[in-house]
Amino acid sequence: MSANPRDAGTGAGRREGAFEREPARRVFSAELRECRYQFKEGEDEKSPTFVLLPTGERSNRIFLVGTLTEKTRQGEQNIFYRGRVVDPTGTFFIMAGSYQPEAMQQLAKIETPAFVAVIGKPNLYQKPDGSFLVSVRVESITVVDKDTRDIWTLDTAARTLDRLDAFVKDGSPDIAKAKEHYPSLDPTVFRKMAYAALAQIRI
Amino acid sequence: MDFSEAAERISRKFSKTGTTVDAKKVEGKLRRLVNEFGVQPSEAERSVTTELAKEFNVPAMGSAGGTGRSGGGTEQKKIAAMVPGEWVTLEGKVVSVSAPASPSIAQSGIIADDSGAIRFVAWAKANAPAMKPDSWYRIESAVVDEYKNVASLKIHSGTTIKEIEPEDRVLSPATVPIRDLRTGVGSVRAKVVQEWDASHERMLQSGLLGDETGTIKFVIWKEPGKETLVPGAVYLIYYAQVDEFNSRLSLNLNTALIMQEEGDITVSGGESAIRGAIVHIAPGSGIIKRCPVEGCNRALSRQNYCPVHEIQPDFRYDLRIKGWLDDGEKTHNLLLQRDAVEALTGMTLEAAKEIAENNPLGMDEVFLRIRDAVLGRYVLCKGREIENRLLVNTCERLPFDSSEHTALLNRAGTGGVS
Repeated sequence: MSANPRDAGTGAGRREGAFEREPARRVFSAELRECRYQFKEGEDEKSPTFVLLPTGERSNRIFLVGTLTEKTRQGEQNIFYRGRVVDPTGTFFIMAGSYQPEAMQQLAKIETPAFVAVIGKPNLYQKPDGSFLVSVRVESITVVDKDTRDIWTLDTAARTLDRLDAFVKDGSPDIAKAKEHYPSLDPTVFRKMAYAALAQIRI
Repeated sequence: MDFSEAAERISRKFSKTGTTVDAKKVEGKLRRLVNEFGVQPSEAERSVTTELAKEFNVPAMGSAGGTGRSGGGTEQKKIAAMVPGEWVTLEGKVVSVSAPASPSIAQSGIIADDSGAIRFVAWAKANAPAMKPDSWYRIESAVVDEYKNVASLKIHSGTTIKEIEPEDRVLSPATVPIRDLRTGVGSVRAKVVQEWDASHERMLQSGLLGDETGTIKFVIWKEPGKETLVPGAVYLIYYAQVDEFNSRLSLNLNTALIMQEEGDITVSGGESAIRGAIVHIAPGSGIIKRCPVEGCNRALSRQNYCPVHEIQPDFRYDLRIKGWLDDGEKTHNLLLQRDAVEALTGMTLEAAKEIAENNPLGMDEVFLRIRDAVLGRYVLCKGREIENRLLVNTCERLPFDSSEHTALLNRAGTGGVS
């Protein structure tokens, strides 16, 4: 929960709600796993960290809904949980450690498989072999129903298409940055991905 | 009579017309008229003014007012036409008298005529007769002043006040749309759309009033005889004080005449509907205890401690949700009151109380159940957004929309072909 410097000064005098919370972006796992660029806004230790989505939007937080297929407990002193959440396009890697006790307890309680809604922060790691991994540090996770998963799929497809429409129009600085950092990516790939995700919904 | 002050007033009046009169001479004339000839001070002032007006060929100065006998050397004006800095004479009805805020003030309140209303302040030094609520007065030579952006009528030692017969004068205050309210005094017809937690121990009630054009915060301070408004009810509110704080207007109803009305108002303006996912349920959600002291209503700590009224074992329970609703672009701070919580979660206050009192986790269990029932869900929240917080009237789960599904398939598909 980081203050957005652009808006931190507004809402003067109000204890709560005076800062702007970073919105949770909607992104399919197939797009998130392509992230290769992570940056910090501002010099402050508490400045938010963003991953740059290939479709040209920064993301400090994401909201995802899918099927928790696997969870493992790891660590001796510092216990943490890892999990895999599957959406129509692939797999999200999630984790919750002792720094997120509430999230960790929520995750510990859930029996796989289950539809889950996850709010968390994406982080980009480079593994020793040079490959990249985007993992989502869980802020909260709850069991939801299939309808919620399907609504999320619609929502995420719509947001992805919105980003793609903006991408071809060459709007924001973040889009320019995305073109610089992901030069070989073809946006039509993500359009097909969104279509495929939508096509998997059975009514 | 303070002759020098009256003389000063007269010379100022003439200087406005570009004429310079000798204040010393004027004072001498006034003194002579009053002391030697027994003329009423106001009449002396008027006659000196008229005399000087004739002398300097300034038209129609002393004859203002039209009632002939008196007329203080200032123009009779309708309240609506008054401008700060003016000296005025008016006839109006005292519609409200409030406790003076300082020992240097003898009386303050609101006076109205058929054109509008204005706050008045009578200085203690003025030795003016106290005015009675609901009586009509003719006030001569008062000054329109401005304080904190609010116009008010100052009654000083040179002002004369006379009670007059209302005759057939009837005041029918005109209400204005909330959108058009200005600082000063205002009348509205509005509905109580929200009641807020009292934020001060002297506060009887605060909340939000709305009409077809907008909403405004209101406050009623504790005073004998003051009653709270009923949420959802419609009221005619005459002569409320319109104050400005942090460039937001609010209504102080302590001065107002309030009448409950039949009917309903469709409140608009500020009503927003937001679709999104609930991404956070904040501490302080679920079942809470509230301070039972009348007009307080604050949330108590776990130890039943109210920040103002200390330990309150006879608290009453309430339900609420504080959290964040996220539409993917912006995150909105949410506040759901009991009705909205019950409708969204299906858990009634009674059921929550049962859980809180019989479960080993107590109130935490209610929090956890509510969190698990709403977190990560898509909802449509309708309410009013104030200072970045959505005060939710209704919040309902969104169903899967198959027509949206079809539209998106088309959108994604056609884009892929091109």
